[in-house]
Amino acid sequence: MPIKDIAKELALLLLLAVITAFVVNFYSSKGIALTGDWDTAQGVITAKAKDNVVNHGLEIQDIRIAKEIYDGKEAIFVDARAYEDYKDGHIKRAVSMPINQLEERIVKFIANYPADTYIITYCSGRECDDSHELAQLLFEEGYTTISVFIDGYPAWEGKGYPIESVKH
Amino acid sequence: MYSTVQKTIKNSWIELAVRWFLGITFIYGSYYKIIEPAHFAKIIYGYYLFPDFSINLIAIVLPFLEFFAGLALILGIYPRSTALIILGMLFVFIIAISINLSRGIEFDCGCFSFSEAGYTYSVWQLLIRDIFYFVLGLHILFFDQLRRWCLMQSGSILKNTSRQKQTTA
Repeated sequence: MPIKDIAKELALLLLLAVITAFVVNFYSSKGIALTGDWDTAQGVITAKAKDNVVNHGLEIQDIRIAKEIYDGKEAIFVDARAYEDYKDGHIKRAVSMPINQLEERIVKFIANYPADTYIITYCSGRECDDSHELAQLLFEEGYTTISVFIDGYPAWEGKGYPIESVKH
Repeated sequence: MYSTVQKTIKNSWIELAVRWFLGITFIYGSYYKIIEPAHFAKIIYGYYLFPDFSINLIAIVLPFLEFFAGLALILGIYPRSTALIILGMLFVFIIAISINLSRGIEFDCGCFSFSEAGYTYSVWQLLIRDIFYFVLGLHILFFDQLRRWCLMQSGSILKNTSRQKQTTA
């Protein structure tokens, strides 16, 4: 077996791929950091891309705090998941705002909720960053006070907190 | 029957077809991963197999390894070593998919980036597909005839056959 020749060929091919990969990643607008945040105990996971939407500073880590805010009726909960999921079950009184339907729904939302409304976004948990993306989109629409309830609907439902569904 | 199989395996047109098929497949497969590295990183995370520090590095390097391996197969640049790289990647994919199959895990973050990206393959489909590619990769690795339309002949894994053939020709 021509081990030496093969080792040389492999080294050349691997080197070319690795160098190109890091150069492209460095210059690409979609490039990601060398290490991401992948520990759900710390918050929503993210590859930390240049267009990253995850801002850990907005996160409500403790579900009990989210429940306190909910009970105090201090905030409006906004559901970032697909409408199908919302229909099946959502936090009681939450408003549906799937991130891919923002344009269709935002006019009505703005009419109903002034810019100083305290908004809490959520989706399906710490592996889902749609809640963060929605928060960023709502900031762009002029809302000033937004938090992200990162444990999302599954944890809320699991705790037996108030939920409702849309009748078909 | 045996000689027909032998003839097919040694047919350089078949080797070329296999090389191009795998090459195009790998370039095609690398495209989405290159333009959306963050989504790809999440898929790697979803296997729950790789340490946190390695996830982004894999997401950065692997798509380009696939791309260059695919390109090298099509152009015929060191085909046996390229086949080794492809077999190495497929081996890792097959092991990762098998482990998740045995654990009964199918990653679903319930997010838009996944539902819209069309990750509709079932795990079994992926596994069977990768095993099929693996067999094709072995064919390239062990092919010991002169390869067609090859920029850099390199022989098979066992010996530098083609180089000897070229010099004796």
